[in-house]
Amino acid sequence: MRPLPRRSFLKLLTNSLLTFSGALGLGGLARFFSFQADPPPPKEFDIGPAMNYPQGSVTVLLQIPATLRHTSKGFIAVSMKCTHLGCTVEKPGETFECPCHGSRFDEFGKVTRGPATRDLPQLEVIETEDGNLIVRAS
Amino acid sequence: MTERARHPILRLRSGRAISLLLIFVSGFFLLAIPAAASPVLDSITPTATAYTPPTPTMYLVTLTPTPTLAPTPTFDVSRLDKPIVDEPPSQLDEGLLVYWGVCMACHGDTGQGLTDAWRDSFGEDRDCWTSKCHASNHPPQGFEFPRLVPSLSDKGTLLRFVNAEQLYQYNLANMPWWDPGSLTKEKALAVTAYLLKMNGKLPEGVTLTAANGQFIPIQYTVMEPPAQSNLWKYLLAGALILSGIGIGLQSVQPHAGKRPSFILHLHPPTIPALQARFRYTLGAGGLAVFLCIILLVTGLLEMFYYIPSTERAAATIQEITFLVPYGGLVRNLHFWSAQALVVVAAIHLLRVVFTGAYAKPRRFNYILGLGLFVIVLLLDFTGYVLRWDEGIRWALIAGTNLLGSVPKIGEGLVRFVSGNLEPGPAMLIRFYAWHLFGLAILGGILMIWHLFRVRRDGGIAATRVERIGNPPDEESAPTRISRAELLRREAITMLVAGGILLLISTFLPAPIEQPMSSTLVSLAESRAPWFFLWVQELLKVGDPFLWGVATPLIVVLLLGLIPYVFPRVDESEIGRWLPRSGRAAQLFLATLLVTIITLTILATR
Ligand code: FES
Repeated sequence: MRPLPRRSFLKLLTNSLLTFSGALGLGGLARFFSFQADPPPPKEFDIGPAMNYPQGSVTVLLQIPATLRHTSKGFIAVSMKCTHLGCTVEKPGETFECPCHGSRFDEFGKVTRGPATRDLPQLEVIETEDGNLIVRAS
Repeated sequence: MTERARHPILRLRSGRAISLLLIFVSGFFLLAIPAAASPVLDSITPTATAYTPPTPTMYLVTLTPTPTLAPTPTFDVSRLDKPIVDEPPSQLDEGLLVYWGVCMACHGDTGQGLTDAWRDSFGEDRDCWTSKCHASNHPPQGFEFPRLVPSLSDKGTLLRFVNAEQLYQYNLANMPWWDPGSLTKEKALAVTAYLLKMNGKLPEGVTLTAANGQFIPIQYTVMEPPAQSNLWKYLLAGALILSGIGIGLQSVQPHAGKRPSFILHLHPPTIPALQARFRYTLGAGGLAVFLCIILLVTGLLEMFYYIPSTERAAATIQEITFLVPYGGLVRNLHFWSAQALVVVAAIHLLRVVFTGAYAKPRRFNYILGLGLFVIVLLLDFTGYVLRWDEGIRWALIAGTNLLGSVPKIGEGLVRFVSGNLEPGPAMLIRFYAWHLFGLAILGGILMIWHLFRVRRDGGIAATRVERIGNPPDEESAPTRISRAELLRREAITMLVAGGILLLISTFLPAPIEQPMSSTLVSLAESRAPWFFLWVQELLKVGDPFLWGVATPLIVVLLLGLIPYVFPRVDESEIGRWLPRSGRAAQLFLATLLVTIITLTILATR
């Protein structure tokens, strides 16, 4: 192999240094933009004493958003955040309807019509010692 | 310049005289009109007193007029009795008791504020700031007592509080006036609940706690437009603006013995007449520049009032729209110019393709223009988000989640574009930064480049060969026109377009809705802004990434490929509508256009 002439070598060197520092700069910029300034949304919601939700009741908890049912088998919370693109679903009757692109779900969150493909998740409901209910949004 | 082309009105001298007259007349009227009846300004004008109480600035607050001695105080003293409540008292009962003990003296038994009628309840201490009661241990002018006490029960009184949490914090820290911070947390909560109840903002059966306060929205309304209509003020202002533009454009016209002005210099000395025919260009490019200037000016004006915080954004937009003198006109102009820019840019693009003007050497400029079009759409979307009211909620959430649906890099992309995964302060400020800085600057640079390339490429595409046997009307036209003539034509287009815009902005208000609340309400508008309706319709088909991200990107890509894929239009046909040799490209774009329009119509059903 012929040794690289001095000129070309220097040129190669400067160019690669330039590329390198450019990449570093871009990386720095990407890091700059990646900071999460807001705290993540709350994961746990204290929704007050369990006796506020008697057997057979269906309550819409808009702050989560979720629907809480008290069935004979205990509390069932169904998330009301559409699994398609995150709009809050409406609940005109028993079932759920998304206003944004028209997904439908049955009362337990199963998809009955697209474009959503995943069911509305069921959220964990915990009863604390002092009788309050905690809903865990995943 | 040919004499034929001159309309008398545009003849310089008479034009200037008319504009000056208009300025004079409208200026006179504008000055003669009393300042806009802004409730804020009226309500906080204190009467000359030794002490100005720290009355918070509130919207639509009615305040008591200057106290005057009422001749015969008649007052049902039973209104002062301690209220009787159940045992054990509910939170609202406790709130009532706190209110009775702490707040009532100033704010009145029904929250009416310190009205004359309420002061009657004090009997001879009715004007206690002059009766000098307590004067021994208080300032010489008597007991320190606020003279202006806002009513608590009027419509819109609590509007500056976004939610119950804020009202609670405010009460805790600032009330009562004579001993701020003396309320315990329980008492502050109770009295906040009572105030909410008084204003019909407390949901049935809810106990206010420190935790749920932020989910009880207060600021939930759109201000009432001012009673007196702004129409004719706006019309006069519009006339003033138009004549201003007119005069401005006249003064840049060439004057004998003077060197050409800057604006004139931006134009080539002469251009072929064929390039300047309105029915060929539709004036779309020039109009787009004009709209950008309007957007820049009105946008800068809005910046003086808009506060990009989640609490204040929607409220300040309401201020601009309803309270700031001529603010409504400025905002409507900004809104309508932005909508018009999308349409005009689309027409410009269609014109370029339908006349075959995209081919070399204008290929690069075509790409620049396409980039500008995309930036205009993004600017429109970010500007729309800045409203931060219920009208934009789903578009924002669906839009950011759409980005998040990109495989692998989705989340990073959302972080980069909108600062956070959930709407919040970080997201708002980032959209603000994009709108005012990132996109606007990039757009400005691209626009200048685009304009520069037009000249660099030898003007806009028009045939270089003088056709033999021109149609009669073209025969008489000169083959080249001077820049003064070009400027004159631009001026006419600008004045006409400006006039139409001003009329629309006077009569059709830009949309506004109640401020976004932290509670997710389902009455939010679920439609995307009109220029993205077709994407929303596509999203109903299936996979978000495929239909919502990939498909629109492919559309842009295909548009960009037009000059590279389709054959060059024949030289003899350049500069005409629908050249035969450009059929393929025309057909392609027409199909695309029809599809997008159909999807849009489907989405509005
Ligand atoms: S967000 Fe619910 S269907 Fe698209």
